[in-house]
Amino acid sequence: MILLGAAVLLVGRWLTPHTFHGAILQSPLPAQDFSLMSHVGQRVALSDLRGKIVLLYFGYTICPDVCPTTLAELAQARKLLGRDADQVQVLMITVDPERDTIPVLADYVVHFSSTFLGLRGTPDETAQVATYYGIYYEKHDSDSALGYLVDHTATVMVIDRNGYLRLVFPFGTPAEDMASDLQYLLRK
Amino acid sequence: MRLTVFCVLMGVLVLAACATATPTPTLAPAPKIAVEGMWGRPSPKIAQAGAFYMVIRNTGAAADKLTAARSSACTTVELHESYQMSNGTMGMRPVTGGTIEIPANGQVELKVGGLHIMCIDKKVEFNNGVKLPLTLVFAKSGEINVQVEIREQGM
Repeated sequence: MILLGAAVLLVGRWLTPHTFHGAILQSPLPAQDFSLMSHVGQRVALSDLRGKIVLLYFGYTICPDVCPTTLAELAQARKLLGRDADQVQVLMITVDPERDTIPVLADYVVHFSSTFLGLRGTPDETAQVATYYGIYYEKHDSDSALGYLVDHTATVMVIDRNGYLRLVFPFGTPAEDMASDLQYLLRK
Repeated sequence: MRLTVFCVLMGVLVLAACATATPTPTLAPAPKIAVEGMWGRPSPKIAQAGAFYMVIRNTGAAADKLTAARSSACTTVELHESYQMSNGTMGMRPVTGGTIEIPANGQVELKVGGLHIMCIDKKVEFNNGVKLPLTLVFAKSGEINVQVEIREQGM
């Protein structure tokens, strides 16, 4: 199934010029570097990942609908890339560092893929990185047994292998569409 | 002769009895609820909550309301909705008024990025293939028991 998916993507690329599914940044900008603690207990800098496509997502583990959906689609998109999956690194930065401790993040992201990296900053670091990428997030109180909830930008940012911010996938972009765009960026 | 009169009289009485025993059909419209396509995504054990999705159909001529839900798989069950704000920002909140209206001759889809039933403080692991009991409580239709299958979407 995965091989077939990859084959279809490949053939599709040869037959037609590529149409991006994600929103393209017409003048790609160098993605601002940052360094945050990862769920494996080491700091990871964006620049450490140069040479890979980085898919950057901001979310939190208590979010039961939007976040797991996006992470599951990202995992599926990687699978569709077959061997090229190794060229794609998914990063999830928590917008709820207060409750998403490193052990929580570790158990959470690995459920979707053992290759995903969960990142956690101090509140200040998190705010700084979010600002770099135009990410909005804000806690709001709720009547829910979950306590406060966090509104947050739910897009996925695509940073190419040279460290340029190239594409933005809106929430709900199917795995197949993301894989198609990633395949194109990897072949270019 | 007497017997014939008796029989006729009895017949009339029986017919009369039947006529009065038959209740006049009620004209008040009622909802008729059916629930299908129940599923939830496998979620990490550490994740405090999991979402359930489904389609609630109402083929009756009156609206109904989903007022609550409960499950032995969850400590608390709440009705929530995700909503989109500007610039791709998503938020989530308990549904306004605490209920979900199911219109007459209509349906409501509980789906990813929209309305969903939230299972908080999971008591079991949401592994692929697991089936979880869920009781939906409607204002008029009462309780409806369903099973929610945990599976990857689109399978």
